[in-house]
Amino acid sequence: MKAVACRLRFPSFAVLAALTALFLSPLAAPLLQRTAGFLLARGQAPAPGSIKVVNLIPASLSGESNQDSEPFLAIQNDSPQVMVASAFTPNPFSMTGNAPVYVSQDGGNSWVLNAIAPVQRMTCDITHAMATGENHPRGDLHAGTLACASGITLDESESVDVSSTATMNVQSTRGNVDQPFVRALGVSSGDRIYVGVNDFNHSTGQTATVDVSVDGGATYKSIPIETRKTAGQDGPSVRPAVANDGTVYAAYFGWRKFDGKTATSDVVVVRDDAAATGPNPFQALKDPSDKLPGRLVIKNASIPWSNAPVLGQERIGSTLSIAVDPNHSAIVYVAWADKGSKGDIYTLHVRNSTDRGVTWSKTDLPRTTIHNATNVALAIANNGVVGYLYQQLEGGRWVTHLLQSHDAFTTSQDRVLATVPADQPAGQFLPYLGDYDYLLSVGNEFRGVFCANNTPDFANFPQGVTFQRAADFSAKTLNDGAGNLVPISIDPFYFSVPVIP
Amino acid sequence: MKISSVLIGSSLWVAALLLALCGCTKAATPQATDNQAELMSKSSIVFSGTVSQLAATSFADVPKSANTIVVHVDSVLKKPAAVSLKKGDSVTVEVKDASAFQEGTHAIFYTDGWIFGSGVAVKELGHVLGEVAPTAGAEAKPQGQEQLSDQELRERMNASDFVVVGRVTDVRKWNAPKAKSGAPLHVTEHDPDWHEAIVEVESVLKGGQVKGNKVVVRFPQRNDVAWVSSPKFTKDQKGIFCLNRDRATGVPTTKLGGKQVNVYTCLGHGDALPMSEEMRVRALLKNQ
Repeated sequence: MKAVACRLRFPSFAVLAALTALFLSPLAAPLLQRTAGFLLARGQAPAPGSIKVVNLIPASLSGESNQDSEPFLAIQNDSPQVMVASAFTPNPFSMTGNAPVYVSQDGGNSWVLNAIAPVQRMTCDITHAMATGENHPRGDLHAGTLACASGITLDESESVDVSSTATMNVQSTRGNVDQPFVRALGVSSGDRIYVGVNDFNHSTGQTATVDVSVDGGATYKSIPIETRKTAGQDGPSVRPAVANDGTVYAAYFGWRKFDGKTATSDVVVVRDDAAATGPNPFQALKDPSDKLPGRLVIKNASIPWSNAPVLGQERIGSTLSIAVDPNHSAIVYVAWADKGSKGDIYTLHVRNSTDRGVTWSKTDLPRTTIHNATNVALAIANNGVVGYLYQQLEGGRWVTHLLQSHDAFTTSQDRVLATVPADQPAGQFLPYLGDYDYLLSVGNEFRGVFCANNTPDFANFPQGVTFQRAADFSAKTLNDGAGNLVPISIDPFYFSVPVIP
Repeated sequence: MKISSVLIGSSLWVAALLLALCGCTKAATPQATDNQAELMSKSSIVFSGTVSQLAATSFADVPKSANTIVVHVDSVLKKPAAVSLKKGDSVTVEVKDASAFQEGTHAIFYTDGWIFGSGVAVKELGHVLGEVAPTAGAEAKPQGQEQLSDQELRERMNASDFVVVGRVTDVRKWNAPKAKSGAPLHVTEHDPDWHEAIVEVESVLKGGQVKGNKVVVRFPQRNDVAWVSSPKFTKDQKGIFCLNRDRATGVPTTKLGGKQVNVYTCLGHGDALPMSEEMRVRALLKNQ
């Protein structure tokens, strides 16, 4: 848009009218996009292979400088050109209007901001998933959002066409919960939705919970998955993972002690073999130590908790991810962060199971122990290759890595998607980058989202990058589309990386 | 809220309104003036422009219908800072009644945002037909991203129990009393870290008498995303405060000067306004 707008500003009226007519005719609409894409490609470094990195901020919001942190992504599997992303992006024109999401209908090349989330102005947590069971070619988006006003309210909601601007339909709501994390699977009878939440409504302090809907969100059942005594609650992150055969895993932090600065926590994995539709869901895995549901992958990990910046400008305390092979549900990986060795702030670990979570690797998988890092996200592609996304603080920079491995990380490929200054811009709030980022697999691609400093500098994006917003890569500055400088800020970035053979 | 943004916003509003009124081909009646002022107040994006296409859109991703038209922007009168919109751009407008427009029609469009992509799409709240004389330098500078519109501020004050002018005399941390039942922890990233501000009330603009001349206002000190828009109070801060009885902390009273008093909260964006907003606040309250 920037380049097109520049063209329109100066020519004579006749040329202007002709160009306007040409550009705005329906037939020329695709040309306009291609034209804009070509011109904006001046800000795109040559990308090795077909890796794609795209700044999500649309051209028409080039003046924004919000901290658009904590990204998430949903892909319509039957029509993977359709995607929805989100971040802590406020409604750009109203303090009281709906919070927005980003929508792409061209495989992530371009994104629009559409204010459809059922929360005023900006969510304080949002995750979502698109399943395929109800034949909605531009939906079916299921979201879990937190609205934070005088209290915190969870809405579980649906849009059956993300290209429409209708507010998402709220299907379930309740207060006193934290960090909804949505996964979904489409089946012929309708979408199955799994929302991990930390539910403080449980008086026992066993707060790790999965909200399950097997009817496309029409009804939800709240299922506690913690069976052991806690320190008064579990950790915030409760992460479901769904295989195509209906096997559902969930990972959570079972907090056993908490002193305000450190949680002594188990990393627990539960499993259900029947899509959590049976009478005793999530009890298929029992730990040999106490025969209780929930396999203890690691016991008594020391997890630092800080609601202040300690890892660069980021807070830490609850990074966790789980992924199941979509076609071989016996294969499952889990990753988390805890207090590492002396001098280390936060260390990532990855372990795996090849027998449906019954036994787990005794130590971290090779090359997966990452120091001073957070925002871990795992995904497994159709060919069994595992993707491992994380953000590491290295030499004063936030470096976003995507590792891939087809042999449980005995060998792996590492791609740096971004390496940006960690001290700029100054944080506006916490989380600085997010309490999570996200990775999914679709076809032969890993697709995901991360947040980073948005300075338009090729050196910061080794795989290349496309900015939709107005950016001058020569001067390494942003502008508002009219030439006025805009300060750098945190933006969400979409990426697509081919799955290794 | 930054004072500068308020001043800029107010002056721009007046300038934009004058421009809009002066540019109309028809003489504005007092009623029309009121209507336009109201429209300007409600709208987030206002521009004058020329209709270039009917039943069309200016960029992909906007659903085309009989009510979407493309307007060539002649002058931008009001917009949020984040929005990239300028003279010469083409905007999709979803109008209320497409029969009111033809190609070449000039009008001022009072709108709200709709879809933001490679271009801007808006929804019409109202329009005034007529050609606006372009004036050198007439393009409005953007509103601050965080500024409440008159409409939003009016709604916020309507929802408040009290609107007061006051000064913060003290700020202190407040810890919720431990539950006797031994209720479990609620540790989240969104923990508000409650603090209390003691506000000496100078005048009450809405809500009747305040007992004594001081009130306790509980606010979240945490810089978490959940509370980023909530006002943070500092000692000696003076301002206009929109207060509600505390329904957030579960403990709606506290001791002040040896007496049990009600506690208030001030949680929303724009609930604490600088004194420079006093005239606007009084005017909005008066015109209710």
